Amino acid sequence: MIKGNWHPKGSAAQLDALLSSDDLGRYVIEFEDGTIFNGEISQLKVSERLGNVRRKIYLEDGSLFSTLNNDAVDELFQKFQKVPSFIYYLETRWTWVATALFITILVGFSFFKWGIPWTSEKIAHALPYETNRFISKGSMTFLDKILFEESNLSKVRQDEISKHFYAKLAKLSVEDESEIVYKLHFRSWEMDGNSVPNALALPSGDIIVTDKFIELTKSFDEIDSVLLHEMGHVVHRHGLEMMIEGTFVTVAVMMISGDGSGVGDMGVGLGSALVSSSYSRGHESEADLYAFKKMLQAKINPVSFSHIMNRMTAFMGKDNNLSKASSDDEFLDYFASHPSTKKRVELANKYSECFKKGLTVCE
Amino acid sequence: MEKLNFTGTGSEYFKIWIVNILLTIITMGFYIPWAKVRNRRYLYANTTVANRNFEYHATGLQLLLGFIIGLVLFIIYSFVTQIAPQFAGIFMIVFMLILPWLVWKSLMFNMKMTSFSNVHFSFQGKLGKSYKIFLGYPALLFLVIFIILGGSIFLTKFLLLGDIIPEPIMMIGGIVLGLLATLGYLYFFAFMKKATTEYTLSNSYYGQGKFDTEIETKKFFIILLKTMALAIVPIGLLVGIIMPILQGGMASGIEMMFVVAYFGFIFFMMLVASYAVSRERKYIYENTLLDNNITFESTLRARDIAWVMISNFFLIMITLGLAFPWAKVRMAKLMLENTLVETSQGFDTFISTQEDNTSSIGDQIGDAFDVDVGVAF
Repeated sequence: MIKGNWHPKGSAAQLDALLSSDDLGRYVIEFEDGTIFNGEISQLKVSERLGNVRRKIYLEDGSLFSTLNNDAVDELFQKFQKVPSFIYYLETRWTWVATALFITILVGFSFFKWGIPWTSEKIAHALPYETNRFISKGSMTFLDKILFEESNLSKVRQDEISKHFYAKLAKLSVEDESEIVYKLHFRSWEMDGNSVPNALALPSGDIIVTDKFIELTKSFDEIDSVLLHEMGHVVHRHGLEMMIEGTFVTVAVMMISGDGSGVGDMGVGLGSALVSSSYSRGHESEADLYAFKKMLQAKINPVSFSHIMNRMTAFMGKDNNLSKASSDDEFLDYFASHPSTKKRVELANKYSECFKKGLTVCE
Repeated sequence: MEKLNFTGTGSEYFKIWIVNILLTIITMGFYIPWAKVRNRRYLYANTTVANRNFEYHATGLQLLLGFIIGLVLFIIYSFVTQIAPQFAGIFMIVFMLILPWLVWKSLMFNMKMTSFSNVHFSFQGKLGKSYKIFLGYPALLFLVIFIILGGSIFLTKFLLLGDIIPEPIMMIGGIVLGLLATLGYLYFFAFMKKATTEYTLSNSYYGQGKFDTEIETKKFFIILLKTMALAIVPIGLLVGIIMPILQGGMASGIEMMFVVAYFGFIFFMMLVASYAVSRERKYIYENTLLDNNITFESTLRARDIAWVMISNFFLIMITLGLAFPWAKVRMAKLMLENTLVETSQGFDTFISTQEDNTSSIGDQIGDAFDVDVGVAF
């Protein structure tokens, strides 16, 4: 006996009813007033089970019997009709739920950690080189408008650095990407009354160094080490990669919180920022490695890189009252776009050891 | 008056949700339409009132075609806008042209696929009206803005009004005009909300019974003005803290402040949104009638929805999304248990007006885009 409700076809009216069956595959629906409905169980259409939601059984005439007693319905139909229940089976076995949870976490993590960067790298390198020039079109003008001012370095000093750059470094990367045309720019960057020491590269091969950066360096080796790092970004097409990664992350995060009716949507921005800065750290490390390898080839001691990095970090820490928290803070690591200076310096020192031994390849 | 109930639980929904994700991963995403159906069926079927429940009837196969079309278009769109951003504008125009059709299709399909107590809902709005609301009105607004902007540029630049009228008066005039323009825009926004709410609800049917919603733009406008007044805090936060940081190019060490400001901003935005949702919902429900005699009411309080929203946000973030099913169930419970329906006259007289649940090709396409017209229901 299964207790439930009965609806005439297409009607909201409902009557209390009882469903029962015999061993021969016939069912009987009984109403309080004694009215009876009967027929073959194999002729009934039953909905697929889902959690414990009200189960619906459609009769031959289109009327509906519904009940909350799911177990009894399953038992009844087991004998006389095959009802699909595979997904319900998965949903109710804790082993399958745990497996699903495990696979979801694993796949999700791997996708963000390796899947997106790997695919983006492949796409970035599969695209024609022109794309790099295309995406940085207008960037220089834009940066000049909002960020930079004319350099205050003397023309002589600029020429000296440029000449050194074109003669020594620009040639180094020829074997990797013969299409890249490097161009060095000198600018001054002022923020809140402080000069910012920095060097940056556009995907097109334009490399910008700020006055404060040049001022902080003590040798050509130090300038070279940072310029090689920037060239690493260009060679590895990091600008393009970031754009592709950005698209992936946005789509993926949107799909995850998509049905969230606005609840989870607000976390999207932060999630994307976290993931993107993780990718950016990966790019920085890749550019560092590129720089160290090239330095060994060019007979420059990689320790120069740690010298200038330490000096720049010290300068930023001292003069910028906003940057009180040190970059070695574990928590902030997740938000930082660059790996901590400590880690970068450690790697530079390792390469420096190789350099001292006269090696050109460092494992 | 009887309140709606939600009988589902977070743990039960979690199992359904996680198995959906597993199957989606295994099928490389092609299970998504079936997953969607299972999710909706669970949420609908657990929504009950007067010992009757809702039901979602679409099948995964019905959603599949729309899903594939939507996916293909989305991939083309993402790809083209990344490689050649100048075409993004063309996409936007095409999308704006088909949006009213998508909204219309989506409403028809989703209403048809929903039933309560064995009787289906339906949407019988006209396509022309959808174009009027979702394309005509915005285009009109655009035109008005264009005329005002163009007019003021013409007056100052070519008629050299600045030379004739003294500067202080010009400035006061500018501020007054700016204020009027903002108010005008807000009024238009309220009007749009009224139009979409009436279009969706007043063209919806439960069986043979028609929904009727009458809304005054003025009431929405007042709610909107109050919301804007409350929103001054988060906007101030944004302008005062976040913007300078972004412009400063994220110097190292200020990330912490950025995070604090970000959360602060979200927190206040949620408070503000809660206020707007609770007030609008209350007003819409009170002015909605089904079959001339069934009334509705919303008892949703801003502070309750704010609490659930904010705690859900942290719940989802801390668990990296795994707590989503619990968050969803909490929100559903809150929304439904604050929805009252007059049940004393019963539902026995309602009958389905459409025989079948089938849909023609194209009916489901709107659903794939998840077009949300912004009606709180």
